[in-house]
Amino acid sequence: MADATSVRPRLSSGLVPRRQAWAHRLVISPTVLSIVVLGLYPLLFILAAAFSDSTLGKPFRDWVGTENFELVLADGDIVASFARTVLYALAISIVSVILGVVIALSLERATRSGSVVRTVLLLPLITPPVVVGTLWKLVFNPGGGLLDTLLRGVGVEGASVAPLSSTFWALPAIGLADVWQWTPLITLLVYAALLTQDGAVTEAAALDGAHGFGLFRHITWPAIAGTVAAVFFVRLVIALKVFDLVFIMTSGGPGQASTTTSYVIYQVALKEFDVGRASAITLLFAVIVTLITLPVAALTRKLSHD
Amino acid sequence: MTRPTSALRHRSVLAYAVLGLALLVTLVPLAYLFSVSLMGRDETVSGILFTPDPQWSNWGDVLGSNIPLAIGNSLLSALGGALLTLVIALPGAWAIARFRAGGRTLGATLMSPWLLPPIVAVVPLLTLLRILGLNNTVLGLALVYAFANAPVAVWLLEGFVRRLPIEIEEAATIDGAGSFRTLLSIIAPLLAPSLVAVGIIVAILNYNEFLLATFLTQSADAQTFPVALSLFYGDRTPHFGKIAAASFIGVIPVFAAAVFFQRWLVGGLTGGAVR
Repeated sequence: MADATSVRPRLSSGLVPRRQAWAHRLVISPTVLSIVVLGLYPLLFILAAAFSDSTLGKPFRDWVGTENFELVLADGDIVASFARTVLYALAISIVSVILGVVIALSLERATRSGSVVRTVLLLPLITPPVVVGTLWKLVFNPGGGLLDTLLRGVGVEGASVAPLSSTFWALPAIGLADVWQWTPLITLLVYAALLTQDGAVTEAAALDGAHGFGLFRHITWPAIAGTVAAVFFVRLVIALKVFDLVFIMTSGGPGQASTTTSYVIYQVALKEFDVGRASAITLLFAVIVTLITLPVAALTRKLSHD
Repeated sequence: MTRPTSALRHRSVLAYAVLGLALLVTLVPLAYLFSVSLMGRDETVSGILFTPDPQWSNWGDVLGSNIPLAIGNSLLSALGGALLTLVIALPGAWAIARFRAGGRTLGATLMSPWLLPPIVAVVPLLTLLRILGLNNTVLGLALVYAFANAPVAVWLLEGFVRRLPIEIEEAATIDGAGSFRTLLSIIAPLLAPSLVAVGIIVAILNYNEFLLATFLTQSADAQTFPVALSLFYGDRTPHFGKIAAASFIGVIPVFAAAVFFQRWLVGGLTGGAVR
């Protein structure tokens, strides 16, 4: 793609001088402004707040050096939230990507399924996360929710099922809602990649006797691997930021069982008003996000250039 | 495209089975939400799946509450924000695709704010809106949405711009059209379907957004739908039937948009590969 454009005569080179260059700068300026207002300005604020004693009402009261970071790293609950969030995000992303790829492959194979099926499958993706949280909260409602009623129906009696108030099941239950919401995006993007592959190659391979898993591994997978890696990256970043579902479904509980880092930052900044410490958590989390996503981003680049 | 082999037919049965299951898992929770929206207070905790006596009054009560106003606010901020995003992003995407404006730095930094949880960013944005006198207003929220989604829109639109034949622009330049003229009378009309697609995606993102809206619109008359819905839990004994009804009513605009703009939505998300 990049090669194709670079061999073309570019409008900016040579003939059209200064006036045009200024016009280009003007044309790009709204985009730059948006990065400054929504990217650079908050980032500088967070940096300054992380190294100062900052409350919600009075930011930057005193420079305190690395005190905020020391407090955060000494706080077992916060460090535990980092580990919990990373494990959650990895698990959720792997599950969503596998499901998304399987559904996309089925969608391609089932040639008679039309746009109605695609639209229905997309619905969770466009449902507001607050509604998704509400929906699954109702499903998991211990006194007569869908899950409880169905389990009772097949004869599982005894202790009522209350995943959202169980230390073990609360996070997986949020994860289920998360998978339900975001798998459609993966399905759609992988399906698009499947449609752009060369049908003739698949035909030829099938005629040569490739079928089943062999056909998938040698023909289909190489064609979609780049896309799959890219959607895994996107999915991972979205899962690492999970907030709305936690807020609606469990408020981080029971205890700290479903407190993800986004929720910790929310509690510290907007409930305890300690913007300095919240900024320090955000920056430390930024380092973790970078460390986790860099290999995935590198893999994506490698797979899509092969 | 004849595929007579029984193995292939066997696999297509499997494919239909997977799709059937996926449709079921997608639809059952939504159907359950609808079913709960018609239940009375006691029925929601009694372990039934359908109510024998639909309480349409739940829907009536929700329509008489602040939910319709909140949906209106959501629509305004979502559509206003999306329009502004397009105004910001179209020139940016064009300049990046055609002239490599901003070079590698811009390309690399474009999406980086997206990597982080936006919670602390709420604080400086709130300060900024307060200075501008736009906190607790739908206009202020729309402005924040417009800027917040501009990078995504640039990123999506850039691919569409690259696919336009450059010869048309070259011809326009030779005929004496300047940058703005080319952008307005050549690029914008040619990209119209893509602009609609990206606009819908951004508008849905805005409509569904919760975190920024909670803090930037705290007054009741500026609250958006997700914020108003989250406040339904504030009651000591929440009425699940009404919460479900409010959820369902609030989802109708996005679902209607999805059905109506299905082609554009899917095309926009997949760079035009699926229609």
